Amino acid sequence: MEKVQLGGKDIEIDEDGFIQDPDAWDESVARDLAKTEGVDDMTDEHWKVVNYLREYYLEYNMAPMIRKVCKTTGFKLKEIYDLFPSGPAKGACKVAGLPKPTGCV
Amino acid sequence: MELITVSRKGGMAFDVSVGRHHLTCDMAPEDGGAGAGLSPVEMFAGSLGACIAMMVQCYCETCGCDGDVGVSLALELLPKPKRIGAVVVDVELPRGVSEDRRDAIRRVVRECVIHETLRHPPDVDVEILTDSELRPDPEPVGAGTLELRRN
Repeated sequence: MEKVQLGGKDIEIDEDGFIQDPDAWDESVARDLAKTEGVDDMTDEHWKVVNYLREYYLEYNMAPMIRKVCKTTGFKLKEIYDLFPSGPAKGACKVAGLPKPTGCV
Repeated sequence: MELITVSRKGGMAFDVSVGRHHLTCDMAPEDGGAGAGLSPVEMFAGSLGACIAMMVQCYCETCGCDGDVGVSLALELLPKPKRIGAVVVDVELPRGVSEDRRDAIRRVVRECVIHETLRHPPDVDVEILTDSELRPDPEPVGAGTLELRRN
């Protein structure tokens, strides 16, 4: 596992850039992870998705289904991809500090 | 329906050919390909999306709305065995299609061939053809010459 500087901290990531310790996550880590996904500016809309993913993960220890993300945040599928071009699994979950979803390719 | 053939282009890229139509299918670079085309999974989802879009477009046009239908899809994969666990589809209707058409359009979406096929999985009958079946041995080179020498 590689260690990289995220949010001013040395944090371990996997080969796809997902942080290994969800507890190491904070908003500054999220901003740096977002840059690796091509998101230079985390807007309120980005945070709405990221915060929901994080809350869901902390409660259920898994990422929510994509449709649930859409319904809860009020964003259409295309809007989620506009916010996170690599999608809710590879992009948004990574920024939210979740482990790489098992089905993610 | 014409024969669909898949032939190697190089690396992990394959040409999917139907009559005069060609599509390139490849793996993403992170999966060992060159990203020269859609992945097979993306092609599968694209097929569903196109089928839905065409059916809904036809429906909208019969209702007098000839604006453009749009479809967005996302897939959720599951491990062990690795497969598509969920397909999330947003169908965007053209202007002028009223709210009370929603249930009818949902039925149209369900009736598209690819969607129906997913709900009623087909048999997939696979035959493995080895080299000896594809390219039967030609007459051994030099056999005729040997006979001549014996004579």
